[in-house]
Amino acid sequence: MKILCVCGLGQGTSLILRMNVETVLRELGVEADVENTDVSAASSENTDYIVTSNELAESLTSSSAKIIIVNNYFDNNEIKSALSEHLS
Amino acid sequence: METIKWMATNIFGEPAVLLGFIVLLGLVLQKKTINQTMSGTFKAIIGFLIIGVGAGVIVDALLIFQPMWAEVFNLEQEELGSFLGQGEFNAKYGSAITLAMTLGFLINVLLARFTRFKFIYLTGHMMFWTTTIFAGIIIHEVGHVSFGKLVVFLSIFMGVYWTIQPALTQPFMRRITGNDNIALGHTSASVALLGALAGKYLGNKDNDSEKIKLPKKLEFLRDSNVITALTMGVLFLVGALIVSGKGTPGAEELIASSGDKNFFVYAIIQSFQFAAGIAVVLMGVRMFIGEIVPAFNGIATKLVPGAKPALDCPVVFPYAPNAVILGFLGSFFGALLWLVVIGNTVGYIFVPTMIVLFFHSATAGVFGNVTGGVRGALIGGFITSTVVAWGQFVMVKGLLASTVPDTAMWAADSDMFILGPIIKVLAQLFL
Repeated sequence: MKILCVCGLGQGTSLILRMNVETVLRELGVEADVENTDVSAASSENTDYIVTSNELAESLTSSSAKIIIVNNYFDNNEIKSALSEHLS
Repeated sequence: METIKWMATNIFGEPAVLLGFIVLLGLVLQKKTINQTMSGTFKAIIGFLIIGVGAGVIVDALLIFQPMWAEVFNLEQEELGSFLGQGEFNAKYGSAITLAMTLGFLINVLLARFTRFKFIYLTGHMMFWTTTIFAGIIIHEVGHVSFGKLVVFLSIFMGVYWTIQPALTQPFMRRITGNDNIALGHTSASVALLGALAGKYLGNKDNDSEKIKLPKKLEFLRDSNVITALTMGVLFLVGALIVSGKGTPGAEELIASSGDKNFFVYAIIQSFQFAAGIAVVLMGVRMFIGEIVPAFNGIATKLVPGAKPALDCPVVFPYAPNAVILGFLGSFFGALLWLVVIGNTVGYIFVPTMIVLFFHSATAGVFGNVTGGVRGALIGGFITSTVVAWGQFVMVKGLLASTVPDTAMWAADSDMFILGPIIKVLAQLFL
């Protein structure tokens, strides 16, 4: 399973999101490859899930991946409920 | 002795390899699987080498942008001069930069551990660019500096900067985020502070930007590739239009440089080329930062109880999305104004790269809004473009003309312009 964490520049914020997603996945006992990238690269990448914010999700509708929306990248509880809702 | 010499040349003298080792160490310390360790180390090395490739693409596009606007403003055809450039600079000083970045981070962790400034700077790509630009200033100002001296000087300066900068912006961060959990760790701190101060005195707090409804159509502004190509495209096109109407020998020469292609098509392709170059560089940076920062974070959270992460500036964007757009509009207006003013006065062709302008002015917009509402956000953006435009002129022409002016044209930031002269003075005193 591959998960992409996406922000506008694909550098800092998406990396923090990736680290938090990795933490949550460990707690959930789920194995996955987690990467971070920018919004333009994300729509052409072959991935199972994309985790991103509400605003950026609108530019990713063409992607075949399932989009998981997380609005606060630092709220591990929000990430946890969003992930477990989609992954199960 | 032979071993030391061999190590110095082949490991410490080869930044990509050194970086690979640092990442390898971080991943081993975190007890990652062999799988993750291999891919992480390899990606770090490849990523570092990609930066040089992308930098070359950006410079090629700038070599057309510059003469085009020089012709628009009737400036003497001025060469960028002779300079090392990002690729060659990395090959020569990249190891010192990589090492200074790592040691600087450790100093940051130690300061967070033993002082009351509990901030851990985690914006890795900015750690890399800031250290690079400051190294560029030092080498330009004092010439050759020994590897050891450069590393010690830079790591101390960076460590102190990365600890104090989040502390300075934290009072406003508390007001923006409503809590004390995260800090700002980004080179836009200076314009964010200026924006907040200007908002306080010139703005009106009651007129909060988040009360207005902005059209959804502006959402594409969040995609850095699109916005870079778009704004550079407009500037290349306007430049091409003016040049094609001039009929001077210089203009004729420029038009001839497009060869068989239509001059306007050629100009537009250059703007996409420029955006492509930036995308390549950022991909390279992402490839090694993505491995090194989680390792840093793992070390820091173990060593510093109660540490607050200092994070990239988009963390403040969700708290005031309208202020983000307003800040950008303020700086876009300022960038166009300064392009004309600086071009006509000191004769420098300002390269208004939207990556720098967007992220910094958006942050300044959010900070300006928290003290001064809509007006504060707009002024914050305008201040950003002012600092970036004049800062770029001073930096490219003066502070690092012989080292990495190419990088300063698109990756140098507000804080670097404010701290640059201080680095210069300190370097002359101590190195």
